[in-house]
Amino acid sequence: MTAHSLAAARRGSWLPSAPMIGAKFLELRRRRVLTAVTAAFTVGTPVIFYGIREIYHLSDPARYAPAGNGAFANTVTLIAEFGFIAAVMLGATAGTSDLTDGMFRHLVITGRSRLALYLARIPAGLSILLSLAAVGFTVTALATAFLSGPEPASVAAALPGDLARSGLWLELDLAIGFTVGLGLGSLMGQRTVPVVLLTVWQIIITPQLADHVLPHLINAQRIVPGVAMDQLKPAMLAGGVTVGPTGGIQPAALPPMPAWAMATVIAGWILGWLTIGAWKMATRDA
Amino acid sequence: MTTVSQTGGSPRPPGAEPAPGQDGDWAVEVHGLTKRFGARAAVDDVDLRVPRGCAFGYLGPNGAGKTTLIRVLLGLTRADSGTMSLLGLPVPAQRGHALARVGAIVDEPRFHGHLTGRENLKILAAARGGDASRQIGPALGRTGLSQRAGDKVSAYSLGMRQRLGVAACLLADPQLLILDEPMNGLDPAGMRQMRDMIRGLVDEGRTVMLSSHLLDEVERTCDQVAIVDHGKIIRSGPIAELISGAGAVVEVQCSDPPAAARALDHCAVASRVAVTDAGLTVTLAPGPAREQAAEIYRRLVEAGITVYGLHQTHATLEDWFLSATSRLEENQ
Repeated sequence: MTAHSLAAARRGSWLPSAPMIGAKFLELRRRRVLTAVTAAFTVGTPVIFYGIREIYHLSDPARYAPAGNGAFANTVTLIAEFGFIAAVMLGATAGTSDLTDGMFRHLVITGRSRLALYLARIPAGLSILLSLAAVGFTVTALATAFLSGPEPASVAAALPGDLARSGLWLELDLAIGFTVGLGLGSLMGQRTVPVVLLTVWQIIITPQLADHVLPHLINAQRIVPGVAMDQLKPAMLAGGVTVGPTGGIQPAALPPMPAWAMATVIAGWILGWLTIGAWKMATRDA
Repeated sequence: MTTVSQTGGSPRPPGAEPAPGQDGDWAVEVHGLTKRFGARAAVDDVDLRVPRGCAFGYLGPNGAGKTTLIRVLLGLTRADSGTMSLLGLPVPAQRGHALARVGAIVDEPRFHGHLTGRENLKILAAARGGDASRQIGPALGRTGLSQRAGDKVSAYSLGMRQRLGVAACLLADPQLLILDEPMNGLDPAGMRQMRDMIRGLVDEGRTVMLSSHLLDEVERTCDQVAIVDHGKIIRSGPIAELISGAGAVVEVQCSDPPAAARALDHCAVASRVAVTDAGLTVTLAPGPAREQAAEIYRRLVEAGITVYGLHQTHATLEDWFLSATSRLEENQ
């Protein structure tokens, strides 16, 4: 097989090549405002949160506890909320930037599979988002451990597995935001409406559905990813500073979901929206 | 009735099998291609053959269906019916392989504005694969963008983006370039540079299919043309042959040009009459020009118009285009 025919065969493959993923990573990373907002929502959130608490503590130690005391679960939840918005913005941008910037037709003309062009967006966007979220989580864990004063911090006492579960939960939450934003953005061909819709969904609708039982609609409420994610929350996050020996603590409002149901809901949202986005990408006029 | 002539070679009835190896002679081959938007046919049962190794002009007024045909060829939108091939490979069945050696600009070239010209080319080279990334430097050099390759595209003029679009085409080391209105937005120097570049690419044995509504530029740049109007190809062939087959043009200096134009209304020997500052420009119908000019003179004198002068000029592509389209209107 010649180099040319090999390149032609790769061009027809639905798998994105490493240079394609790298190119999309470059394109997203160079969006300074978007990268800055993502960094602010994931890394900036714990820095500001702990910074303010530490200033209070240093100004009046008798009145205000050390910054790290009892703050871990709240901070991770805060990162999850803000980070979800950043994830949606990043996903919707990844899904629409080629189209809105006029690059989509250049890319299609290369003869590369449209599915490969679409799939390249996933690792490219997630690598930015999840790395920043990991930094934010690490900052949170370190701040909790080192700014807890003389009392032993829960994080310091936590098992590595519990800490890892909390980190993975945060990463999964943001990955859902990214993939739904990517799929919806690709479907609609524009960024603003998906970001607004998903922000409203996450900030307003999901808490309502998670906290209030709708008679006869409990199963419908359970297919909301935020509800499933709440039930999947590790004990270290769900119970505040408490390190639970077993699984998550479900919200009081809704009866517990079995693990397979949580996994199905979450996987369904991720795969469903990615499929919708891929279908639109494959059939859209360029 | 419209006439659709095949471009070069012997015509082949739609549906007939090509002779062995014959398909390889055509850079682009289209049979019975139709693309509709609702009830309107933007491309209407088009047959077209573009020979390899030439600059081919795809000429027509705005809204004639030029860009739609190109978009269909490149897989940017789907055809409703018809068959197509690029470089002898059927599309859409083998579009990926065919496009590996095709470069194209469609509509106004746009890129990621927050990235530099070089970074945009890197993205396209990554999608192309192979040794496309090694072509970035030479492509930038050839299009005169080396000095500005590190600038963000948002700071580029339209002409620079046109050149960046051509540079993107060159990443494929293309056998076929399809350029949609490449002269748009270029100043005279830029147009000349683009023209020279296209001729240079053809001299290297590449095929350039160029869509435009700029008759003068197409005449200067291309070897062959097809004229499209209302989604149909109405004429095609080598420019020299088409112009020589067109009616001669006679310029008439006379006392009352508007009255003279009215006197020549429905005159069989005048396919088109235009009033100018100096008098009239009359495009003659195909036939013996000398006798037709005499007929024009006789009619004007009979109408009481003083004729100061009457002389024949060379027909241009524009004259031919206008006479061809007016004949089409008459036929319709």
